[in-house]
Amino acid sequence: MAAEGASAGGPAPDERHAIGISFGNSNSSIAVTMADDKVEVIANEDGDRQIPSILSYVDGEEYNGQQARQQLIRNSKNTVACFRDFLGQDFKSIDPTHCHASAHPQAHNDTVAFTIKDKAGDEESTVTISEIATRQFRRLKQSASHFTGKDVNSAVITIPTNFSEKQNEALTKAAKDAGIETLQLIREPVAALLAYDARPETKVSDKNVVVADLGGTRSDVAVIASRGGMYTILATAHDYEFAGVHLDKVLQDHFAKEFIKWNSIDPRENARSLAKLKLESEATKKALSIGTNANFSVESLAEGIDFTSTINRLRYETIARKVLDGFNRLVEGVVKKAGLDVLDIDEVILSGGTSHTPKIASNFGSIFPETTKIFAPSTSATAINPSELQVRGAALQASLIQEYESEDIEQSTHPAVTTVKHLTNAIGVLAISDDSHKGIFTPIVSAETAVPARRSIHIPVPKEGGDVLIKIVEGGSHIKVTKPESAPTTNGKKESDDSEDSDEDSDEEPEEQREKVWKVGNVLAEAAVKGTKKGGQVEVMINVAVDLAVTVTAREVGEKGGVRGNLSAP
Amino acid sequence: PVLPEGWAGEKDFKAVAHLSPATQRTIEPVGPHFLAHARRARHKRTFSEDDRI
Repeated sequence: MAAEGASAGGPAPDERHAIGISFGNSNSSIAVTMADDKVEVIANEDGDRQIPSILSYVDGEEYNGQQARQQLIRNSKNTVACFRDFLGQDFKSIDPTHCHASAHPQAHNDTVAFTIKDKAGDEESTVTISEIATRQFRRLKQSASHFTGKDVNSAVITIPTNFSEKQNEALTKAAKDAGIETLQLIREPVAALLAYDARPETKVSDKNVVVADLGGTRSDVAVIASRGGMYTILATAHDYEFAGVHLDKVLQDHFAKEFIKWNSIDPRENARSLAKLKLESEATKKALSIGTNANFSVESLAEGIDFTSTINRLRYETIARKVLDGFNRLVEGVVKKAGLDVLDIDEVILSGGTSHTPKIASNFGSIFPETTKIFAPSTSATAINPSELQVRGAALQASLIQEYESEDIEQSTHPAVTTVKHLTNAIGVLAISDDSHKGIFTPIVSAETAVPARRSIHIPVPKEGGDVLIKIVEGGSHIKVTKPESAPTTNGKKESDDSEDSDEDSDEEPEEQREKVWKVGNVLAEAAVKGTKKGGQVEVMINVAVDLAVTVTAREVGEKGGVRGNLSAP
Repeated sequence: PVLPEGWAGEKDFKAVAHLSPATQRTIEPVGPHFLAHARRARHKRTFSEDDRI
């Protein structure tokens, strides 16, 4: 079925019609960058932008997305769901938990396959995971081609940060078999960050960002150092215990118990009833992200008995607290893993379908200081739909690189280009008051900046002008903890507990003050700018070369010349 | 930052120390700024050379 005739490397740059694809265990989505640089997330034929990654077969007919999802009730054995993470894996290393209610994965040579009736008649066939993924890609390609009116033949696809090379290859091959040339695989959290940074109102800056990708069956959190628009992942965490399905489960159990109370039948014991319960629980969860009240209603839930109930958001948040707290721990853990403190984090981006839950965003708001921006629909009016972030990032990247030759893309993404030195400490100027031991450090280049790098700042000269000393130093940040006068006997790490305590508790035990302070390290260089005017400013520019040689330029703003000096490579 | 009396340096600049050792990390090959970086790296251009083009 793949488009033949194209060269081995895929279509030539001028024949490319590229899209962004986010391919998830639960949902997939596709997006394209329009002529005016706006990204359009494409709806499939059913009108869905979040297309369930499910394939189902009835009498030889293939169903995908929402239609296939409905088949989980009546036709679960011929419905394949939650398969993305099986690609490029052998049977032993996969976790089939989420496939209990659909076609079961099985070992097949060194890969995974499903036995389903995908043809008319009663004949069963063994379909490998690779072929399943190809069929899914074919459907996505078809929807995208319908929308754009062109044959979509290439894509940038998002992958989790812990995908192995083997999984990447399997994914690329599955896409190729569907007639999609993979221009590049980009990592999901980076795609989400790119979607935010590409907005016209975002200025390029140096910041530390946490991307919490809360999905259906897994949650992935990454801490990213964003420096001059370039991204370096400092730490990642993956969790399979706290995700959307676990929130669904909370609602499932809640409504099942209620049903039992009236009917003495447990709908969880019958596969079909359970499937109905699951689908409706998810729908109720989604409704609770938007409204404060939601209905739950299933026709003939078990033994022909209909069931209708309601739940409000507060009650849901109470019964789901255990799962919701799990997200908090996940985020706190990965910040620590990156060697950072919550005070070092400038932005938190909530990505993934589960991020629509308002309570998660407000919980994160209480973990981080007030200065940290939390990008989620419930905390920020300008937030992008968390379900669309990754695919938007992928579409943007696709539009950036689609004119490149495949060879160029390969060379640019080569480790020789991407693996570079990153500064351990910040570099900045020390503004010295009368006492030369006490100085105020102003960072110019942040720690974890990839080299080569160039940054400059303007610093005001003393009121009276005159000769100015520019002292370039290294600096490290650390967290200063000031305990309140009536210090409680708790040790320094109690802060996270305090925030969860009720108000009356925090009145008795005032929270300790934690602030980020700079510790001045080595003095690197000194420069003198002479004869500055009153109220003038000095521009200090630092250029760090690949070999860590440093060039410092200092000059008064508006004047020519200035001082320039080099530090050789260490 | 007033210049202390008697401070002197060659051409008003005094190098004191080198940078501390850095860590090797991998940049994500994504976004317009990375592509600009890759272009500079592959053509071995500096920032100011790149600005002129």
